[in-house]
Amino acid sequence: MTLDPITVEVTRHKLEGIANEMQSTLLRSSFSPIVKEGLDASAGLFTADGQTLAQACAIPIHLATLIPVLQKIIEVFPPATMHPDDTYLLNDPYTGGTHLPDIALVQPIIVDGKLVAFSAAMTHHQDMGGMSAGSVPTNATEIYQEGLRLPPLKFRDAGKLNETLVAIIRQNVRIPDTVMGDINAQLAACSIGVRRVTELTAKFGQETLKNLFSELLDRSETMTRQALGRIPQGTYRYVDFLDNDGIELDKPIRIEVAVTVGQSGIHIDFTGTSPQVRGPMNCVPSGSLAAACFAIRALTDPAIPTNAGCFRPISLHLPEGSLVNPVEPAPVNARTSTIKRITGCIISALAEILPDRVPAPAAGEMALVAFGGRHPAGGNFVTGDLIASGSGASSVSDGVDVIETDATNCMNLPAEAMEMETPIRLHRVALRAGSGGAGEFRGGLGVEREYEVLTDNVTFTHRGERHFSAARGIFGGGDGAHGESTILRTDGSSETIPSKIVTRLMKGDRVILRTAGGAGYGNPALRTAAATTADQADGKIAS
Amino acid sequence: MTYEIGIDIGGTFTDIVCRGADGTVRIAKVPTTRGDPSRAVLAALDTARDEWGVPAAAISRFTHGTTVATNAVLERKGARIGLIATEGFKDVLEIGRQMRHQMYDLVLKPETPVFLAPGRYRKEVRERLDASGNILTPLDEDSVRTAVAALTEQNVQAIAVSLVFSFLNPTHERRIRDMIAAEHPGLPVSLSSDVDPAFREYERTCVTAFDAYIKPVVADYLANLEADLQRAGVTVPLQVMQSRGGLASSSIARQRPVRLFLSGPAGGVVGGLEAGTQAGFKNLITVDIGGTSCDIALITDGEPLIRSEGIIDGYTVRVPMVDVTAIGAGGGSIAWRDGAGSLRVGPHSAGSEPGPACYGRGGTQPTVTDASVVLGYIDPANFAGRTLTLQPSLSHTAIKTVIADPLGLTVEEAALGIHRVLNAQMAEAIRLVSIGRGIDPRGYALLPLGGGGPMHACALAEELGISSIVIPPRPGVLAAAGLLGAPVEHEIAAAFPVKLAELDQTAMANALRGLDERCGALMAAEGIENPDIRHFADVCYIGQSYHLEVPLTGDIYETFLIAHARVYGHSTRIPAKIVNLRTVHRSRTGSVAAGATTKGAAKPPITRRIRVASGTVEAAIWDRDSIGAGEKIAGPAIVEQSDTTTLVEPGWTARLTDSGALLLERTP
Repeated sequence: MTLDPITVEVTRHKLEGIANEMQSTLLRSSFSPIVKEGLDASAGLFTADGQTLAQACAIPIHLATLIPVLQKIIEVFPPATMHPDDTYLLNDPYTGGTHLPDIALVQPIIVDGKLVAFSAAMTHHQDMGGMSAGSVPTNATEIYQEGLRLPPLKFRDAGKLNETLVAIIRQNVRIPDTVMGDINAQLAACSIGVRRVTELTAKFGQETLKNLFSELLDRSETMTRQALGRIPQGTYRYVDFLDNDGIELDKPIRIEVAVTVGQSGIHIDFTGTSPQVRGPMNCVPSGSLAAACFAIRALTDPAIPTNAGCFRPISLHLPEGSLVNPVEPAPVNARTSTIKRITGCIISALAEILPDRVPAPAAGEMALVAFGGRHPAGGNFVTGDLIASGSGASSVSDGVDVIETDATNCMNLPAEAMEMETPIRLHRVALRAGSGGAGEFRGGLGVEREYEVLTDNVTFTHRGERHFSAARGIFGGGDGAHGESTILRTDGSSETIPSKIVTRLMKGDRVILRTAGGAGYGNPALRTAAATTADQADGKIAS
Repeated sequence: MTYEIGIDIGGTFTDIVCRGADGTVRIAKVPTTRGDPSRAVLAALDTARDEWGVPAAAISRFTHGTTVATNAVLERKGARIGLIATEGFKDVLEIGRQMRHQMYDLVLKPETPVFLAPGRYRKEVRERLDASGNILTPLDEDSVRTAVAALTEQNVQAIAVSLVFSFLNPTHERRIRDMIAAEHPGLPVSLSSDVDPAFREYERTCVTAFDAYIKPVVADYLANLEADLQRAGVTVPLQVMQSRGGLASSSIARQRPVRLFLSGPAGGVVGGLEAGTQAGFKNLITVDIGGTSCDIALITDGEPLIRSEGIIDGYTVRVPMVDVTAIGAGGGSIAWRDGAGSLRVGPHSAGSEPGPACYGRGGTQPTVTDASVVLGYIDPANFAGRTLTLQPSLSHTAIKTVIADPLGLTVEEAALGIHRVLNAQMAEAIRLVSIGRGIDPRGYALLPLGGGGPMHACALAEELGISSIVIPPRPGVLAAAGLLGAPVEHEIAAAFPVKLAELDQTAMANALRGLDERCGALMAAEGIENPDIRHFADVCYIGQSYHLEVPLTGDIYETFLIAHARVYGHSTRIPAKIVNLRTVHRSRTGSVAAGATTKGAAKPPITRRIRVASGTVEAAIWDRDSIGAGEKIAGPAIVEQSDTTTLVEPGWTARLTDSGALLLERTP
């Protein structure tokens, strides 16, 4: 049958509206700061065979990550056995998940006994048990240390809550009320998708709706292929390095991509990328797909409606046993840094053929620090801070100082918020002069933050990047400065942090953290005198 | 007889509403004079005197909605300012919260308003307070003198001061202000502990810097306008609309200029509130559809929703304002086909130049207005008060060429499609705005405003499951009308960090008394002695970073739990804390100018063929002014008036309310 093009577009707005309503409910109803401030959650609708119809993503790292979840759920629970009031759940990266804090919930949308679609929501939970609070231990060497693993399970069976599962989750996490509260927010989000798609089914009928879904996917595929067709064909390569895996501190981790833009598709080959590592930087395949999706969306036409059609022209080669396709039981909790760098590599590979659209590499460092201990006033405290670095310069402008780039978008913690809640004082929050790569256009600056702990025996976790491999300038531009972090002890001694560390701080100890700068674009000799003078006057470079 | 005047300066038109003591209301529009908007105000006074016989001396109240604060930012016409910060923190203004708004852009733009004070204009002083407001490092006055000298040498025109934890203890900030005043009398100073005494140093610094940046501009504008009004013979003080929807005298408003950012839209929301309330509805969704955008606001239980921060030119500014959300969809939105042949509408707009194709100004892209012409909703000879004669053939050609022929549709089908797509987009946006605030739109009445609102109202109501639509008498000038209905209002907040479990009621009462004294002084300066006083606390769970404003009536914790369940969908009985206390003093000064002029003529003499979803129908064409009380107009019908066109779709019935609003309900 031919579909009326108006109805197709109206339906698209409704599906995206439903996904947005689910997402809004998910963010609104969640409790934990990582969802509220880090927006680390997403919701979406999927076809009966598990293809993305519409997904509301507050941060790009969630793009495409629900696809393997849906595949696994359909495989384990055949649709013929599904009940409208079933809800499925999983978090295990080796059975469809991403890393253990991300729990996915999926509810089938069954109308008149027929499966129409799926409603799904994924949330990064504040804690999933394991060897450290927050369940992202930089020193994990096995997934078993990272927290509670949940294979595909029924969270609700025909409307009946799986009390056994709830009891197991509650027993294994440090903050059971928060985790269960956030799971309830996911349930609420899924039920909105179920209700509204059921209404749509009543309006259009199952057969028409199914045709509308496949038409929408085909249209996005067409547009994506058209947009990719505007990139010159060829194979483009880029290599970059992560500092280390947090365990073997002297061993950089290689990421290599060969991006082939073909007739109307894009193939990304990760051959040459490091074998899987002992520490938690490994990244299951959905992470690389998210990185590729981000890159393609950013490089082509952001007006293309995002659904499974956009993913069809993408193929990936992820060597088994490598960093990007690890074998169980490799730890994976710190995969965010890896996805960020993969995203940067894919984009940078295309810089030479798209010099006006692709900027010089961003530092792409989202440094993570966490402090935990006993509060002098009583009780325990745990606090974390996520700190951005400089973006890369482009053919028309300097990079932006201290800004989130690529797959993530997190807020930093105000000094006043940190000091009111925890025995930590911030002495300095300053732009890092001179850290941007030189160039006709200068890379963005990193930031310097100086913390002092005001009590003894504070467990301190530091996960940096770009300490050993800089963001490399392009077309003659200079590299961004390395990240560097130092612990100043009260006895006057100092320790350089080798990118990643878990250690103990005593009262009066200070940590000075400097994030990396973005790379420069073009020959520095071409920079205007006015720009240089302004940089000196404003303290962005040494005068 | 005395008269009250409300003047709202918009981007294109300056609207004037004049209400006599006998209740008669007059309305006029004059073109906005860009560059010197106060000339339009004087032109409005001329209109009042020459055409309505209203002498300046008879004006008992003069209220004004202004875009001067926002324009100073948009046009970068604010003062050159200096910023003084605690040692180690001068870059906070530039670093901000490090998030980006355009997630998929590769070439990024700064997310913080660096233009307010680039590095060379930011200086540090030696001092430090701890998280309880205790002094860790006393203020080094030499460092203050050095900083101020470095700034004044650069000829700054105002100084913003924002020190860490000053909201707990303003001593150092005040000392700096006094030192500046001693050396540089007359140099405007904005203290963060005055402008926004609440935690989070970036947000507080940012709003304080904005305050300093626009202060000289706003002060000059208001002083000039006052002088002009005096010369024209107006004897009453000038009142200005603030972003929360309350008025302030200009002498106070200029001290707190960041509170004027949403002056214009606030008037519209207050106007909508009054029109809706008079028609018997306390829960309203106002939708103002103009040429390029659609502004959505919510009114719950007779109170406009206020948010604690707003967005000005893309920057988040933490100053309370009426919660208005703008989306890029309106009558000028352009319809186009994407690479896969789908019909898309917006976000690009034809604006007013060249405007929709039917304006005949060279536009060839089909717009929503062109679709309305093709569908027969708009009478080409009777558009915008006959200020412009439309050319339907151009609409027809544009839609045929760009949409209908390539998609294999008739021109009417394509036009209907443009409306359907736009309505679906706007309905989803309204739903999202409502859901995001814990509100189910089905329990609300829709109040469409602007030139475009009443045309799309039935379709939006259908999509949203809304059963009542209230169309005010003059939807096109509601912002000016709202000025006459707004109360005089002042609010003062202060940080009051305390766990609820440890709350000392006496301490809280003392803190509130202090706020009331300061707020009462502001009201007294307005000549209002017995204001309506309401107290609020910003409350959150311990560890939570978003707070809710809770009225201090009854048990704080229980009220918080109810508010939390409403807004966030759940609540749990775990410990909570107060972040800020706030007092709001307001005085009801009048009700909105209804402007109903019912003549109650006979049945409509004409009908017109229009196209609706169900097909082509014969619609009765009504003149709004000729609708009689008790008349029931069953759709399909069109109600025309100079400032808007109302489409009553089949299945809906319209009638006048006693207040003069047009009420549309589903035909039983």
